[in-house]
Amino acid sequence: MTLVATAALAVAGCSSSSSGSGGKTTIKFSYLWTGQEAAALQKVIADFNRSQDKIVVKGVSNPDQQAQLAGMTSANGAYDISDSFGSNTGAWASKGILEPLDGYISKDHYDLSDFVPAGMDQVKYQNKVYAMPIALHTFLLLYNKTLFAQAGISGPPKTMSELATDIGKLTKTKSGALTQLGFGSSSGVGTDYTTLAMAMGGHWYQSGKPTPDDPANVQALSFYVDNVTKKYGVGQVQKFASGFGDYQSPQNPFFQGKLAMVVDGEWQSAFIKDFAPKLDWGVAPIPYPDGRPELAGTSQVTSSILYIPRHAPNKEQAWEFMKYLESSKAMAAFTQALTNLPARTSLLSSPSYQQFPNFSAWLDELKSHNLQALPSLPSYAQYIADLNDAYDAVNRLAKTPQKALASVAARVKSYD
Amino acid sequence: MTEAVRTRRRRRATLVGVGFSTPWLLGLTVFTVGPVVAALYYSFTDFNLFQSPRWVGLHNYRALLSDDRFLKAVGNTVFLSVIGIPLGLALAMLVALALNFPVRGQPLYRAIVYLPAIVPIVTATYLWRWLLNAKYGFINRILGWLHLPQPSWLDDPSWTKPAVILITLWTVGATAVIYLAALQQVPQHLYEAAAVDGASSWQRFWHVTWPALTPVTLFQLVMGVILSLQIFTQPYLLAQQRLNPASGGPGESLLTYSIYLYQNAFVLLKMGYASAMAWILFIVIGLLTALILLSSRWWVHSETE
Repeated sequence: MTLVATAALAVAGCSSSSSGSGGKTTIKFSYLWTGQEAAALQKVIADFNRSQDKIVVKGVSNPDQQAQLAGMTSANGAYDISDSFGSNTGAWASKGILEPLDGYISKDHYDLSDFVPAGMDQVKYQNKVYAMPIALHTFLLLYNKTLFAQAGISGPPKTMSELATDIGKLTKTKSGALTQLGFGSSSGVGTDYTTLAMAMGGHWYQSGKPTPDDPANVQALSFYVDNVTKKYGVGQVQKFASGFGDYQSPQNPFFQGKLAMVVDGEWQSAFIKDFAPKLDWGVAPIPYPDGRPELAGTSQVTSSILYIPRHAPNKEQAWEFMKYLESSKAMAAFTQALTNLPARTSLLSSPSYQQFPNFSAWLDELKSHNLQALPSLPSYAQYIADLNDAYDAVNRLAKTPQKALASVAARVKSYD
Repeated sequence: MTEAVRTRRRRRATLVGVGFSTPWLLGLTVFTVGPVVAALYYSFTDFNLFQSPRWVGLHNYRALLSDDRFLKAVGNTVFLSVIGIPLGLALAMLVALALNFPVRGQPLYRAIVYLPAIVPIVTATYLWRWLLNAKYGFINRILGWLHLPQPSWLDDPSWTKPAVILITLWTVGATAVIYLAALQQVPQHLYEAAAVDGASSWQRFWHVTWPALTPVTLFQLVMGVILSLQIFTQPYLLAQQRLNPASGGPGESLLTYSIYLYQNAFVLLKMGYASAMAWILFIVIGLLTALILLSSRWWVHSETE
């Protein structure tokens, strides 16, 4: 005990003397990004360090999320600033891991009005801001133009019934086995039900409470079951999906023409450029339910966030650096390096993103009024785990969508 | 006087001994005993790793009993153990008997059988993921040639656990080698005597070979129970999905005890709940080991008899 206390004192002594003697304060930025993305981030860090005479940022790539959490458990945190996903905000804020930022924001009169509102939703918990969005992600319908032409379809489907018809035209079988599927997910059986349900007009939360069995959610799952799983046979669909290659590789089934349509995020613009440069692809809004055009352009938005741990040794300096990363210039450089969407409205029309094929569709999507973010609540991880179980049961036809989501509704009652 | 000197020497020897083992003792205390005791305390608390634990008494233990996922995890683990352990032991013994036949190239066969045991478990499981692939996997291709049904090994809940058992059986060479060593300890003259008495090959196995193998079987059984009840790597890697690394597999058919413990601890940050699970497993393994050791009196032949 005394040993630890002495060591802590010694560390505290060191850091105060280094900043007190007119030297620079070194802060540690631990991030989950690796490889190319980490290299891009290091450039942004170097720019910041050149502009500074008070703070030096030391960036460390640490993709291990368990280590990231462990680094925040001790009273003297292992790093000053880090990144995560917006979905963690509520769980972490409720456990006291995150430093609330409202004090810093009001002290500096920091302007939040430029940030995309749906992106800000995920960094708040009980009306306090606990993190800042650095990049956003949203989902659209990607389609293979070559396969569309072969099937004699002129453009992407606009409504759910058009989608159903197109799935039929774009699905091929050879002696009973599927060789091409009209609509699916590049990572296995099914599709992105969470987003598809939003497009159906569904809600996963209503006034802060999970609502898994919202009729529109059930409808979204039934849509896929009726138009794919049951229609072509669960065994055939499973077998077909088991032949899919890695998501982040040239063997991605959408790149290979095995899937004619998928719902996927903006990073695909870079992935396709790298892995399938010859693919003739287009991107369109997710279809809306028939007769409800007001739901056109509905999608899910998720976020990558920056936060300061409550036990960070140099919170003031971390906030200074966070402001720099959140500035238009740094955010543009960073999101372009990662091919992610910027969290600032003013950047959505920036021509600098034109270098990425079809990227503007995702930028435009962020301006949609029908954008939904799942609120970041403490029960999020449990809810997602329970929903994944339900999706799995539906994909195997072990349960009807109604029954599967009803069983999640029963579990939801036990959430804290 | 001499008595005092001797005592002092003995005390000195003890101190030196303790001194040399101190690094290990410290390690044991800090890294093993400490966490085990701490986990016992946490198992009576609501603890999320960040806020100080809150005492809840037996709540975690009681909640486990009505947790359908916990019961599912127990069921899956029991299935893997009850089927996997006897199958593994029987196969290892058969392989050892086969490898004990004096044929040409015997050392080569022994090496081949042992080879899978040196492949790292993660590499091996990823390889098996492709071997078991429903569309392109070699296993299903072979089954196709034999006109046998080709199951969706990794997608069909009734086939995922057999897939795990298949993977564990692949490394049966490690156990077989130990059996082989035991076989070579069996005195040849016993076989000769049995042959003279006109014993059939089954009688020779049952009355000569098997008794000699029981001490090794006892050891393998205890190790098998410990490893099997904690099985994690193979089901974890088979069930893994993009964006959902700690999945329980289709229909939670691969949700073993250890995977559910891991999910609670590191996905949901329910450390108290996970600690309670860890302690239940610890006690169950202890009890089973004691039971097996007690039962050995009736079926294990000690070599000194």
